[in-house]
Amino acid sequence: MAKKPQQLAIDTRPWRDTANNKPFVRIKNVSKKFGDIIAVHEVSLDIYKSELFCLLGGSGSGKSTLLRMLAGFETPTSGTIEIDGQDMTEVPPYNRPVNMMFQSYALFPHMSVEQNIAYGLKRDGLPRAEIAARVNELLVLVKLQDYGKRKPHQLSGGQRQRVALARALAKRPKLLLLDEPLGALDKKLREETQFELVKIQEQLGVTFIVVTHDQEEAMTLATRIGVMNQGEIAMIGEPTDIYEFPNSRFVANFIGSANMVEGVVSEDEPDHVRIRSSELGCDIYVGHGVDCAPEQRLWWAIRPEKMVLSREQPAGLHGANVATGIVEEIAYLGDISVYQIALESGKRLRVSQTNSVRGNPDAITWDETVYVTWDEDAGSVLTS
Amino acid sequence: MTATHDPTIPPPRRLKPWNAVEKGLARVGITGRMLVLIAPLIWLLVFFLVPLAVVFGISLANKQFGRPPYTPLLTSEEGTVQLTLHLNNYIRLFTDNLYVAAYLSSIRIAAIATIITLLVGYPMAYAIARAPDRWRNILLMLVVLPFFTSFLLRVYALTGFMRGNGVINQFLGLFGIEPIVMMQTDFAVYVGIVYTYLPFMILPLYTTLVKLDVSLFEASADLGARPIHTFLFVTLPLSLPGIIAGSMLVFIPAIGEFVIPSLLGGPETLMIGRVLWDEFFSATNWPRASAVAVAMLLVVVVPIMLLQRAQGAVVEK
Amino acid sequence: MRKGWFLPIAAALGFSFLYAPIVSLVIFSFNESSLVTVWSGFSTKWYGELFSDPQLLGAAWLSLQIAALSASIALVLGTLAAIALVRFRRFRGRTLFAGMVSAPLVMPDVITGLSLLLLFVAMEGFLGWPQGRGMLTIVIAHATFCTAYVCVVVQSRLSDFDRSLEEAAMDLGASPVRTFFDITLPIIAPALVSGWLLGFTLSLDDLVIASFVSGPGSSTLPMVIFSKVRLGVSPDVNALASIIIGIVALGVLAATIIQLRSKPRDRQV
Repeated sequence: MAKKPQQLAIDTRPWRDTANNKPFVRIKNVSKKFGDIIAVHEVSLDIYKSELFCLLGGSGSGKSTLLRMLAGFETPTSGTIEIDGQDMTEVPPYNRPVNMMFQSYALFPHMSVEQNIAYGLKRDGLPRAEIAARVNELLVLVKLQDYGKRKPHQLSGGQRQRVALARALAKRPKLLLLDEPLGALDKKLREETQFELVKIQEQLGVTFIVVTHDQEEAMTLATRIGVMNQGEIAMIGEPTDIYEFPNSRFVANFIGSANMVEGVVSEDEPDHVRIRSSELGCDIYVGHGVDCAPEQRLWWAIRPEKMVLSREQPAGLHGANVATGIVEEIAYLGDISVYQIALESGKRLRVSQTNSVRGNPDAITWDETVYVTWDEDAGSVLTS
Repeated sequence: MTATHDPTIPPPRRLKPWNAVEKGLARVGITGRMLVLIAPLIWLLVFFLVPLAVVFGISLANKQFGRPPYTPLLTSEEGTVQLTLHLNNYIRLFTDNLYVAAYLSSIRIAAIATIITLLVGYPMAYAIARAPDRWRNILLMLVVLPFFTSFLLRVYALTGFMRGNGVINQFLGLFGIEPIVMMQTDFAVYVGIVYTYLPFMILPLYTTLVKLDVSLFEASADLGARPIHTFLFVTLPLSLPGIIAGSMLVFIPAIGEFVIPSLLGGPETLMIGRVLWDEFFSATNWPRASAVAVAMLLVVVVPIMLLQRAQGAVVEK
Repeated sequence: MRKGWFLPIAAALGFSFLYAPIVSLVIFSFNESSLVTVWSGFSTKWYGELFSDPQLLGAAWLSLQIAALSASIALVLGTLAAIALVRFRRFRGRTLFAGMVSAPLVMPDVITGLSLLLLFVAMEGFLGWPQGRGMLTIVIAHATFCTAYVCVVVQSRLSDFDRSLEEAAMDLGASPVRTFFDITLPIIAPALVSGWLLGFTLSLDDLVIASFVSGPGSSTLPMVIFSKVRLGVSPDVNALASIIIGIVALGVLAATIIQLRSKPRDRQV
């Protein structure tokens, strides 16, 4: 199979240096309307060579429509799509150097596995011997050497998924689009296949664009993630950015779980910000400057694992970052326990603690009054 | 870059012959869509819609001797075109007792036969829907099979069964029962309609019944309903679209039925299809036959609309 | 439980009602006597008589030709109509088109027959075509109502069709036309076969419409049978009916087997 590329996108991170790197896929101001419904609204997105880019969003977020426009099944109402420097906006799907792996796999039921994989190569008019060699290569790649003569309905779900992948890779496309590639598999198979997929992608160096609604899948697969909401891109970033530094309430809530608190800016300094929150019953001290104005109403989000529970009142930070409440619910999940703390304001916080001591008899339990505290940089200040 | 591009692959933008043809057609303003639509559209316009319009037109003409045997609607005399419409065919339909009676009796016969078909067909459809999987296809095939054998021959088979010295009466004779007159009665017409249209009733009923989840019946029983209540309050309402669709599929063609009344019915069995046939073939009164047809269309229009709605519901479920 | 007995018995009675007349007809076709309902010994003489009746044989041959031709025309028109109805969500006149496609299904035969005859007569007057009536006019009439049946069968298959199969083919470089022949056609093929068979049997079966639009010398098989039957029971019709029933039974059996075999394909993802 293809040689391993010298450098993987994840190693070079071309998106961090846009001045010296040319994007491979350029989506410019693309909108798509179906009648009165706006499916995709003014999306601009650059994707670089050898990336594994995930479009993440709920149903109706426009992620699939965007993917279908890249494949050529839909034409944008406005905007342009460039692939490898060529304008592809009006090019029909059968003339694009792009292949797609379908959510339903779309394996041709009346053709064998081999015929399915060979279909695209035949359309290109390749010599028969070369087609046979290529099909064989791909069957080895997806570990289905012995299944070439079978019909799709004689395969298991996981095998079908691999045939679909092999068929989409057969023409060695510059860009591979994957629509919920793991959606139809059960949980265990999905986890195995995730790593398989990343391995194949790195081995071939093909640029992947994956559409998924599963945030865990996006986190494990992607070099970068584009979170979509109501036809727009809410945030683009590396998985850690998306999780640790969400840019909006939507992203913070959509990825993982987050405690969202409303507050008012009481101190706005270049090196720190203080937020007064009646919901928390205390002030929030944030250890960096934020683009905001005094007395501005904003939100602050914090992940459950970024907070600490204690029975004794901690010192706190500049007289802030300590909330008091009563343990209302405990969900024991084995590795961690999630505590639901009811604050005086009626606000509930979710705090997770690692169960590092086995069968801890001294663990915090129901109805105890506890203190919740956090670091000055543990949460994200959100203005939208 | 190096790994993904293979110089042996020809560039994918080769012009293929079909693309050229498509492009050529597109240039003249012909899209693929139009090519698909045009043939069936024109065919149906010319051989379905236009004929109905012609029927309506001729129903407004008068009978005359000659070829064609009706007066022309449009006549031109010295440059002026004259349109002559006659309403007397329609007036005749309402004033001549024969026609009114024929319409009423057609509706009555079709309705009674439809109800009998429903009563016979419902248990059969229900039994098939509840049968084990491997039996279901065979039973369905047995229902459909007679539908594929000639309609005419099935009606004919019935005559052999019901005539004075037919199979039934010979069977009854074994027990010393006097032969019963069945042929050439309205009874024979009912039997004929039920016999030939039964598959049309069973299939839509089966389609709705087979989709009913068994857990619905279990839930009903669990909530304390006896089987009869489950049937009345769960099964029956849920199979209503199938009942309507099946009934209309029997009722509509039964109204215009010609073969059954003429082979099984007696001289006093009045059905509108037969009247139209006689008007056309025996009396060669084409305008009158056309008027009868137009009136018949009006009679079946409401059931047809009912059918369309019910079929939508059968398919959706 | 009462229900446990009621359904099987009702079904058994229903099926015997459906089949008893047919079975007795087949049995009596082997009856020696010309009195159709009195058994007087086994004989195949009526079958022999059948094959020496040139009128009946001629009518049968004509009917078969008409059925094959009209089913084939209906196959093309009905498939195109089904594609238009399933695939083109919106076009001007869609309601009218859908109505025209499905109306012949429920249109009483006498109306269809009368209206087409009047059309042909009028067309001959205005255009000089079709000249007289005969096989051509019957084929046109049969193709028209068979189109509706083919369309229904193909439509249901097409609406189950996973569109992403076609998209996948195009994605792999097949033009739309190529995609139709490579993917769509093979997958809907079973529906096309059953649509054609349905059209064929319906055409072979039709008495009323053919009676209206046929001309002198072009009597179809049902027309000949009808004129015989009208005069009373005739044993050679029993023989003919038995042959037709035999052929149809074999045909339906074959179709069922083909369908059952192609089932697993439907279930693929």
